[in-house]
Amino acid sequence: MSGRVRLPGWWPSSHSVQGGTGVTGLRTARGRTLFRWQASGLIGVLSAVAGPLLADVAAGKAVFAQCAGCHAVGAGAAHRLGPQLNGVLVRGAGTIEGYDFSKAFVDKVEAGLDWDEVTLDAYLQAPMITIPGTKMAYPGLKAADERANVIAYLASIDPDGSSVAVVAIAPAASPADTEQTSASDEPRPLAKDVPVPDHGVLHLGRPALEEEVAAWDIDVRPDGTGLPSGSGSVVTGGELYDAQCASCHGVFGEGEGRWPMLAGGFDTLTDDRPEKTIGSYWPYLSTVYDYVRRAMPFGNSRSLSDDDVYALTAYLLYMNDLADEEFTLTAENFAGIEMPNVASFIADTRSEEAWFESVDEPCMRDCAEGDATVAMRARVLDVTPDAESDQGGSEGLD
Amino acid sequence: MKKSLSPVRRSLLKSGLKLGGLVGASAVAARGVHAATPAGPDPLITEIQDWNRYMGDGVDANPYGKPSEFEADVVRRDVSWLTADAKSSVNFTPLHALDGIITPNGLCFERHHGGVARIDPADHRLMINGLVDTPLVFTMADLARFPRENHTYFLECAANSGMEWRGAQLNGCQFTHGMVHNVMYTGVPLKHILAEAGVRASGKWLLPEGADPAHMTRSIPMAKAMDDCLVAFRMNGEALRPEQGYPLRLVVPGWEGNMWVKWLRRIEIGDLPWHQREETSKYTDLLADGRARRFTWEMDVKSVITNPSPQAPIMHGRGRTVVTGLAWSGFGTVKRVDVSIDGGRNWTTARLDGPSFSKSVHRFYHDFDWDGRELFLQSRAIDERGNVQPTKDALRARRGENSIYHNNGIQTWQVRADGAVENVEIS
Repeated sequence: MSGRVRLPGWWPSSHSVQGGTGVTGLRTARGRTLFRWQASGLIGVLSAVAGPLLADVAAGKAVFAQCAGCHAVGAGAAHRLGPQLNGVLVRGAGTIEGYDFSKAFVDKVEAGLDWDEVTLDAYLQAPMITIPGTKMAYPGLKAADERANVIAYLASIDPDGSSVAVVAIAPAASPADTEQTSASDEPRPLAKDVPVPDHGVLHLGRPALEEEVAAWDIDVRPDGTGLPSGSGSVVTGGELYDAQCASCHGVFGEGEGRWPMLAGGFDTLTDDRPEKTIGSYWPYLSTVYDYVRRAMPFGNSRSLSDDDVYALTAYLLYMNDLADEEFTLTAENFAGIEMPNVASFIADTRSEEAWFESVDEPCMRDCAEGDATVAMRARVLDVTPDAESDQGGSEGLD
Repeated sequence: MKKSLSPVRRSLLKSGLKLGGLVGASAVAARGVHAATPAGPDPLITEIQDWNRYMGDGVDANPYGKPSEFEADVVRRDVSWLTADAKSSVNFTPLHALDGIITPNGLCFERHHGGVARIDPADHRLMINGLVDTPLVFTMADLARFPRENHTYFLECAANSGMEWRGAQLNGCQFTHGMVHNVMYTGVPLKHILAEAGVRASGKWLLPEGADPAHMTRSIPMAKAMDDCLVAFRMNGEALRPEQGYPLRLVVPGWEGNMWVKWLRRIEIGDLPWHQREETSKYTDLLADGRARRFTWEMDVKSVITNPSPQAPIMHGRGRTVVTGLAWSGFGTVKRVDVSIDGGRNWTTARLDGPSFSKSVHRFYHDFDWDGRELFLQSRAIDERGNVQPTKDALRARRGENSIYHNNGIQTWQVRADGAVENVEIS
């Protein structure tokens, strides 16, 4: 049952790949020529045809995943925590509108900095050392080939956001292609020869292999069920945090912009503006391990080792004053750690509220005295989209 | 919308017709706001229009059809300040511009936690593991061999109206109530799929998981799974849209939208809940005393007047007026909707129209003669269990203002004497 599965006729068929035409050369900042496909080109086709040159762009796109939490590219890319990077190698450093660059960076630009393969390579190696005071809280790409690849990827993106590497939508197969594919297929087995499994009622699906379950079953419960073996220290976690988490969550876990705050906020849950952090709100430490392991860092899920996740979890405890800096979190001591707010969570008590399964008919006539008067207007806040103001409202979601 | 002048606009300009200065405003305004007796014959009738003479597109101009260009304003919209990044964000269904009970697929609001996963159905797998006799893997082709069912359900984000806890904030029911949509799903009852794997007696909870980079997970009690959960692959007859979980999503009727895991790839069976991020840090309801309710699964009885509303003002002046809206409840069918035009002093029972399905939205109408005076429009829904939609003040008195989720309070729209509508709170 492995490999491609033939779908029934009513299911939308998988796409067949069709190459495009119209190759032109693009000089990158490194003086190399990348192939650019103008029409309906596809990465898969390009890699096969053009070989290693384009593999650089594709590999660079993969490296860029760790940048994508802060930097957008492509058509309509907007500034995030960092500026959008369409045409970054040709548009002129620091010239993009609508982004508030750090003073340190502006000073460098005024002193003559512009991005090319040499300057960007040096910057990406150690941003905070190359430009002290930069807003880019990222320790750097240490591997030279990864830097070269990500620069090639950025060079492939025009100022308008078009790119060989981000255009990856397959054109619909023409009927002729489909027929051709079908004709070249192996003869279909006779229905009576297809084996039927023993399990279940309808005998559908196949048994999952142990390796398959292990690959996907990564959830962890408060009692420690599901924790992998391993350990990680606060010190190691701090290094990982500064490199991979601080750019969004802040160096002290305070949260940049609307990104979630992770630390502090103790005794604020009854305030007008509660700060619901891991320390002040989350009931179980297992949730931290589980969530970081399955979904973080944003844009590069499942890239951390089990020990990395132990270290980050330990560091998040430390940031919340729930562990000292000598602490090492292990599979063995994990379940013994109780979070401060665990007792504040209660069951759903909405059924105790007066309007739940009400036996009284609601009032229909003269239900309040006097005429209604306006107590508050949305217009006063002026946070509706399309309004002139760009300011945020009082509640955020994340 | 096309940049060139539409035929309607061209005719309007050509004839010099002025509709009370509204020409050049929105497409809606340009379409003729009322049938007041004109000074002379209407050139739209007396003159031959372009569309009367010149033929438009033949068949297949749009192999997958699209709405008219004059409906270009009817789109999902976001509120950019709500979230840090579009990859983990939300947009809103344009409720003010829709009617009936079905939400068109392209207008169903989106909420993603790690972008829209792009999955070839041939590459998709659904795994069942945990406390079962035989952990199983299904392909999409396998799932198509189970008995299928069709059900129409609303899906509401638990945070719908969450921005209004502290008071009126957003002008438009699209923004205050647009994290809801209503779709007919085709899928397999989850109990059939579980039966293939054989759930053990100790299996009391399920953990569905998505294949997207957020790997979304929520704990669901077994009784709900055996009752009415579906594993769905179609919405309104066609394949799920990518932003709604193509090729496979979980349908958890009446419960928080966050639990309807998209890009569903795995369901684990366990004996206890997992307390995942989305049921501890998020989707728990902080009360005024600092305690927080968890596992608040059902979406409460709720209604909203969708038209008129701030994005859909009354353009026709006094006289015959249609007030319409939506009502829904996670506990079953809506039994009744009352409408008030005086801010809740007096109520009239509205007319429910169209199908009444359990855990599906209901369409209501209140037709009346507007005398042209200021109105405070409200709607109040009552469901089959007798749950009554409360006022926002009653909710705040009971829960405080920090709950974020489960705000089902009665919405007030102020209609001014000129027909403009605003989101207000009244006393």
